[in-house]
Amino acid sequence: MSKTISISPFNRVEGDLKIKVKIEDGRVADARASGTMFRGFEQILKGHFPEDAVIYTPRICGICSISHSVASSNALAAISEAFVPSRNGQLAKNISHATENAMSHITQFYLYFGPDLLNKKYTGFTYYPAMEKQMTGLKGESVKTIMSERKRFLEILGLIGGKWPHTLALQPGGITKALTTSDIFRIKGILRHFTGVMETVLLGMPVKDYLSIKSIQEFDSAFTEEDIDKSNLALFYHFAKAAGFFDMGKGPGKFIAAGAYPRPDGKPFIPAGYWNNGVHPLDISKITESIHYSFFDSGKPVSDPHKDVSVPRHDKPHAYSWAKAPRYKGEVLEVGALGRQLISGDALITELFSRHGSTVFTRVFARLHESVKLLNEMDTWADELSADEDYYAKNTLKQNAEGIGLTEAARGILGHWISVENGKIKNYQVITPTGWNASPQDEKENHGALEHALIGLRIEDEGNPAEIEHVIRSYDPCLVCTVH
Amino acid sequence: MKNLLCLHGLGCGGDTISLLNAEEPDLLTALEMLEINVAWHPSISLEKGDDVKQICADFASGKRSLDLFIVEGAVPTGPDGTGRIFEFLDRPFIDWVRDLAAVAEYTIAVGTCATSGGIPSANPNPTGANGLQFTRDKTGGILGTDYRSKAGFPVINIPGCPSHPDWILESLYLIATGKLLHEHLDYANRPAHFFNNLAHHSCPRNEFYEFKASAEEFGQMGCLFERLGCRGTQCESDCNIRLWLGRTGSCTRGGYPCISCTSQNFPLPDINYFKTETMAGVPKALPKDVPKAWYIGMVGLAKMATPERLKINAVSTQNKYRKKGEGQS
Repeated sequence: MSKTISISPFNRVEGDLKIKVKIEDGRVADARASGTMFRGFEQILKGHFPEDAVIYTPRICGICSISHSVASSNALAAISEAFVPSRNGQLAKNISHATENAMSHITQFYLYFGPDLLNKKYTGFTYYPAMEKQMTGLKGESVKTIMSERKRFLEILGLIGGKWPHTLALQPGGITKALTTSDIFRIKGILRHFTGVMETVLLGMPVKDYLSIKSIQEFDSAFTEEDIDKSNLALFYHFAKAAGFFDMGKGPGKFIAAGAYPRPDGKPFIPAGYWNNGVHPLDISKITESIHYSFFDSGKPVSDPHKDVSVPRHDKPHAYSWAKAPRYKGEVLEVGALGRQLISGDALITELFSRHGSTVFTRVFARLHESVKLLNEMDTWADELSADEDYYAKNTLKQNAEGIGLTEAARGILGHWISVENGKIKNYQVITPTGWNASPQDEKENHGALEHALIGLRIEDEGNPAEIEHVIRSYDPCLVCTVH
Repeated sequence: MKNLLCLHGLGCGGDTISLLNAEEPDLLTALEMLEINVAWHPSISLEKGDDVKQICADFASGKRSLDLFIVEGAVPTGPDGTGRIFEFLDRPFIDWVRDLAAVAEYTIAVGTCATSGGIPSANPNPTGANGLQFTRDKTGGILGTDYRSKAGFPVINIPGCPSHPDWILESLYLIATGKLLHEHLDYANRPAHFFNNLAHHSCPRNEFYEFKASAEEFGQMGCLFERLGCRGTQCESDCNIRLWLGRTGSCTRGGYPCISCTSQNFPLPDINYFKTETMAGVPKALPKDVPKAWYIGMVGLAKMATPERLKINAVSTQNKYRKKGEGQS
């Protein structure tokens, strides 16, 4: 028995995703993830003043806007004459970047991933009534709380960046606004309030207590079945266990992270690295892009991003996605919170990963876990802000140069490759996290991570393939970023 | 209940993300107040794939009445006018937009991409992106200059990159309650009560503007018009009156220039947005409705009268001037 299911548009992801899976004997035998929309940012950026990259690139994505601000400002810093960025400005960039990333994780769980837990498949579950009460789309108690509290949390971005999405406050040398004592105190107040919300709704315990949990055993005793009514995390944990999420949708299990949130002591909060049965150094020059199954033409199937001159061709035979296929040393990788936390050496995530690998549960859990860690760290950054020092240091761009701007968006490594000639952009290439996770096959026919995770997936009811939705949304795909 | 359908074309989803920040009322309360039923929205609805096709087909065939048709994102016509570069539900997206606009009581373009093409339509416009009824400042777009929705209105344009949640919801309020009049719309078919202000209005840097005390670099308090590219005196929006994100900020309050993202010609070609282009020391783009000769005259006078306090504070990160002012008793 063989059946092909094609889902387009695949909803509650950012952007336009088409999923095609072939099911044989109750298992996914083949899978294709396509990005169906294209705008042509890389073509549009050519010939522009490089400074304007911070205007254009955030507009690639309405939900990862600040990540593109950080990546583009890092790319501009990389092609600047030597300068020292403002210490305060960097902290403020970190706070706004972390606000966007933490909020993205939380919104994804409550608005995008969560509603699938109310699938009719689960109506007989012991946990279903609790899930219905808390997580029903737009109506559940927790969902409503998060919908209203996320706005208050995002006021941090109003205070630092004026508006969001698409602020221009983040620049290579810091931010354009000098924060006042009033701004700093308000930021701390908003953080305090939102941390309280997370403690009440998600955790059911103080953040400090949560962050002291370092093992599965400790987690199990802190989040028991009795806690499901006071902690969404406990509810999700026990639900996920019963629903088989712990081992569902295995990804390739190798990761890279770019490093993000540089701190005044020089150490980034998220270190850069390559995870392959342990942490290894990241070598950016090993990143290539394959366009074999992408709607692009080029002289060669694989390119170094700096030298990528591919041009769009919507009717290319055999192609099935506007996403290119980034590879590291030719390997298929995953990116995102799970990889970041492994590379950071997080004890709880490392133990969960060694037990289960990259699965629906570990990917979703790592995002929630990371958002709590970010909230906690943001407060220490806010404490280091000073209202008596500059927030911006001027940089001077070189007229002819190549540079790379890297950071971590919510969904994983984000890279901007810029080349300027005579003071104008000659080439600009963007590789986004979902470009990695939802890439099409490469020239060696290797599937991207999401396709890999779908292949082999057992489907209980072909008429209601809930498992497919869980696997896809566990990667939190952002297609508007991917296709750009 | 009025049925609302929202489709996303070539955009970033940012207007929806912005809309989620609505307050007083928030999005869900507003929908309830206005008795709007969201038939489908790509970011918040549960239906996917074929179910979405059925919803769209039922509207297009007239089986179900489409009261509010919202498009976010530009509509591509490429290649060669076919629109096939972006297919949606097995057809070119442009075909769906035309069919649904033909049956909609009101068609609403949200965000500058949908109103006039926006970023995707920037040179070389790789996809042939257009707005619904404008492409940049030329009327037409993909629906044509003569298009009128069933209620007799042209496409109601709510630009912005992104659009402010109030602009979207308050427009829906006017539309859904039948209060929208033709004379409420301006030359760009935008509800004028938002867009016939200037971003400059209520900018906290106005005193610096008046006395031509300008910032030289980011992070300074002075006016951003003379050197740092600010278009707030040309940009038609009420950003500094209304404020964003819980009324906490705006572009100029964030210390960076307004880039006039509500303008039909956003983004402008061949300019450095962070640098004011000048000719013989006079900015090339002058404040709206101010003739050059008068501008030069006003600036000359203003610069003679600039108080010391403003001169110092304009190039400082915080209020630095500490002296007792003249005229104080």
